Amino acid sequence: MSASDLNATSLFWKQVRKNVANWTTVRRIMSVVLFLLAWTILVQFIGQFHQIPSPTAVFAALFQLDLGVIFTEIFRSFLRVMVGFLIGLLIGLPLGIAIGYSRIANYLLFPAVEMVRPIPPIAWIPLTVLFFIEIESQIVFLTFYGAFFPIVYNTMGGISEVDIRLPRAAMSFGLTKIGMLWKVILPAAMPQIFTGMKVAIGITWLMVVAAEMIASKGGLGYWVWYHHTVMEYPMVILGMGIIGLCGALCSVGIDVIGNHFMKWRNIF
Amino acid sequence: MVNSNHRGEVVFEDVTRAIQTKKTETIILDHCSFVVESGKLTVLIGPSGCGKTTIINLIAGYEIPDRGKVLMDGKPVTGPDWERLVVFQESALFPWLTCYDNVMFGPLATNVMTRDEAHEQAIKLLEKVGLQDFLYKYPIQLSGGMQRRAELARALINRPTVMLMDEPFRGLDAMTRELMQEYYLRLVEESHGTHLFVTSEIEEAIFLANKLIIMTNKPSCVKHVLDVDLPRPRDASVLRSKQYLELKATALEILHEEAVKASKASGKADIDIESGLRT
Repeated sequence: MSASDLNATSLFWKQVRKNVANWTTVRRIMSVVLFLLAWTILVQFIGQFHQIPSPTAVFAALFQLDLGVIFTEIFRSFLRVMVGFLIGLLIGLPLGIAIGYSRIANYLLFPAVEMVRPIPPIAWIPLTVLFFIEIESQIVFLTFYGAFFPIVYNTMGGISEVDIRLPRAAMSFGLTKIGMLWKVILPAAMPQIFTGMKVAIGITWLMVVAAEMIASKGGLGYWVWYHHTVMEYPMVILGMGIIGLCGALCSVGIDVIGNHFMKWRNIF
Repeated sequence: MVNSNHRGEVVFEDVTRAIQTKKTETIILDHCSFVVESGKLTVLIGPSGCGKTTIINLIAGYEIPDRGKVLMDGKPVTGPDWERLVVFQESALFPWLTCYDNVMFGPLATNVMTRDEAHEQAIKLLEKVGLQDFLYKYPIQLSGGMQRRAELARALINRPTVMLMDEPFRGLDAMTRELMQEYYLRLVEESHGTHLFVTSEIEEAIFLANKLIIMTNKPSCVKHVLDVDLPRPRDASVLRSKQYLELKATALEILHEEAVKASKASGKADIDIESGLRT
């Protein structure tokens, strides 16, 4: 081995030590290990938790999964979340823009919105049977409803918080009111609109799981509930994990789309 | 496009402007009259909170006087227009657009020139303010001084008849500020437009001005008008001339009276009018 090779190798290990095998990474791994450890200890040594599957039992359950079934359920839930979310976006975004941008629309719509908003979306479940006969529509309605208010609220808020100097400058440049909306108000409100979408997608997952548990029409919520009824608790925990993963994936997806539209925010 | 040297006169005729807060009405401008002469650089100076930003807003057309008239070339100002453009306190560049796109914003919004023409102008102006290597950077990637220069270019490309500068160099460090003033003077001396420059810094005021309007504390009106006939083009050496020092002494004396009044008034825990309006 030549000297330069040696140098290169030592440089490689230096890089590894700097970027991977450092204390930050160790601490991060520790966090996960400690969590699993706490879980194990609780299950092993505290009487009332004996029934709860240990981490190893859950891990073992992973190999008994019927992949065909689980992916069908994931797909079902995903579809419901996506359809509900997109309808929420399609209705919520224009509504939020109208309330935020037009004083008349604000007076006409905002009090009604404000009246309904404090009701937790889950409280709507019993009433949905009156709106829709089909169970599928009921579930999609509930996911839509979960997405709706965060989108409306954040769009509205983002628009009303735009720095007044920006539209003023644009006004002087001769922009029309519609041009202003497209070229100034919406770009300026974009960060908060995306925040609203992230909150919204989280709530759609909450709604879809709750609705599926009650409706028994498939989906991850139903799958978890079913395993609860047959007392297969490792599967229940596994299902919970999968739901969490799906939610996180959606959140990351929105971040990726947001970063694409807001390159100017991610320079550093 | 307007390029006549004889247009761009702004007249304040007995203007009164008040703002309503929840409990009280505060008079900001009280029977205020002055003239911003066409083709000259007029500097407006006064104690902070005296309503200088309100004057800018009235000329820009963002606000309307309660009494009196704001006239531009004899016609009352009714709303914003590209004839009267503002360079704001701190940066009001569009953060989602690059430096170049910010400058192109005005021309593309109004279609007063073709894209090629606008492009040519934008490049030329950005070169003139020393940003030729930062065309495709976003505002957050620029330093404070660069942002201010980009904003100057963004306004100047529209060839406004009147440029309204609302303490544009506030918050910059002394070195950058000096540089900016020199950049700005060079642009003014080339453009022949009408400029109204608002500041609370006396050195800056005299260094830049053709005419200095000194405001009283609020409710404010014009306290004094000084002609500044220092030779042009000016550079930093002007700051050591006898004429400059005399002017400064005179202005300081007038300002001092107002500052004393202001500090007495502020003992009564008044609200800050200027920041109150911006929000």
